[in-house]
Amino acid sequence: MSVVQKQINVSDEIDNVCEDLELKLKNTITPDDVLKLAKITDGFLCSNTNEYQIEFTRFKIRDLETDTVLFDISKDPNVSENNDTTDDNKQETTEDSGRFVRYLFSSSFLKLKHVGATVEFQVGSKDVKNFRMIERHFFKDRVLKTFDFNFGYCIPNSRNTCEHIYEFPKLPQDLIDQMIANPFETRSDSFYFVDNKLVLHNKADYSYNG
Amino acid sequence: MGFLTVLKKMRQKEKEMRILLLGLDNAGKTTILKRFNGEPIDQISPTLGFNIKTLEHRGYTLNLWDVGGQKSLRSYWRNYFESTDGLVWVVDAADRMRLDACKDELNILLEEERLAGATLLVLANKQDLPGALSAQEIKDILELDKITTHHWSVVGVSAVTGDKLLNAIDWLIGDIAKRIFTLD
Ligand SMILES: Nc1nc2c(ncn2[C@@H]2O[C@H](COP(=O)(O)OP(=O)(O)OP(=O)(O)O)[C@@H](O)[C@H]2O)c(=O)[nH]1
Ligand SMILES: [Mg+2]
Repeated sequence: MSVVQKQINVSDEIDNVCEDLELKLKNTITPDDVLKLAKITDGFLCSNTNEYQIEFTRFKIRDLETDTVLFDISKDPNVSENNDTTDDNKQETTEDSGRFVRYLFSSSFLKLKHVGATVEFQVGSKDVKNFRMIERHFFKDRVLKTFDFNFGYCIPNSRNTCEHIYEFPKLPQDLIDQMIANPFETRSDSFYFVDNKLVLHNKADYSYNG
Repeated sequence: MGFLTVLKKMRQKEKEMRILLLGLDNAGKTTILKRFNGEPIDQISPTLGFNIKTLEHRGYTLNLWDVGGQKSLRSYWRNYFESTDGLVWVVDAADRMRLDACKDELNILLEEERLAGATLLVLANKQDLPGALSAQEIKDILELDKITTHHWSVVGVSAVTGDKLLNAIDWLIGDIAKRIFTLD
């Protein structure tokens, strides 16, 4: 593991490192490794399948101030590619569908104060022990926010939800202006670990000029 | 509350509490969770796993865990006991037929070592229904007066109307805070 950590620290070489990691070390990436990353990863740090069959089936964001759902996409696990948007905020998929989401927001999104972000996921017939999520949000090479949450145990064949209700971080106006002016330079990596091993990696990017 | 537990809590940057909602299926756990967080409660299906909410409330970070109560899921409850500060035992006060099962399941939890340090809040839910037993009656049937191992309280609530729910949860948080954060 020490080799991985050393390489990850060299953020200039990170693009190459990620590919190396993906090829050679995909089962050995730990929470400490990703917490050290200084920017968004270039590619996915693990494959799109996992032995636990963990699958994300819904992402939802609501504004608690006005009590409105801003964004709600759910994927019916029985029907592939059945994405449903209930709002103006559109969502695009690519060949990495399922693990890459593009969010198109209007600039007012950055003015929200109190939001709830929900994920829904299901797991396969194996129980999942010590399930942990680390999500990192960047604008260019600047960390905006790091979430670190331990779900703990997941029951076999279960369907689970988790909503984080939080105060939206107060961003300086010049940063907000830049984020609006530079669509898709705001990005996030979501890393999921079982027993401290990376098993899933999802990405998203965001625009605020919609 | 052991000294080590106190130290453990104090080391945390934020004041965090872990609250576990359990009870038989159909008791109203998920409805209570959603009502407490201002979400619509009209389309709730049985929980086949867990629902977690993390939120700020009265200066504390609450981690609320609602785990499904169907019989097949109960053997998994123990996976969620660790570090629990508050146990909310939700009772369908109108479901007289299942109060024996309800009492048995609660007694199993009360003997659980990993829940030994948790405050117990019993919610006699569905008070809006005409046949619902009162908090006093639920207390007697579940023999709550016999509990000496946990701080406990019983409150009659309705997840549908929201009646008394907030007060009950504030009691729980207050009791946990008194036990755990007194050295701050
Ligand atoms: N009248 C009335 N109905 C309620 C109340 N609380 C919950 N219900 C109803 O009871 C049913 C079960 O509620 P849930 O919240 O799904 O129950 P649960 O305890 O989460 O059930 P499981 O997930 O299966 O463990 C739903 O139809 C609710 O609408 C209440 O206070 N009054
Ligand atoms: Mg439920």
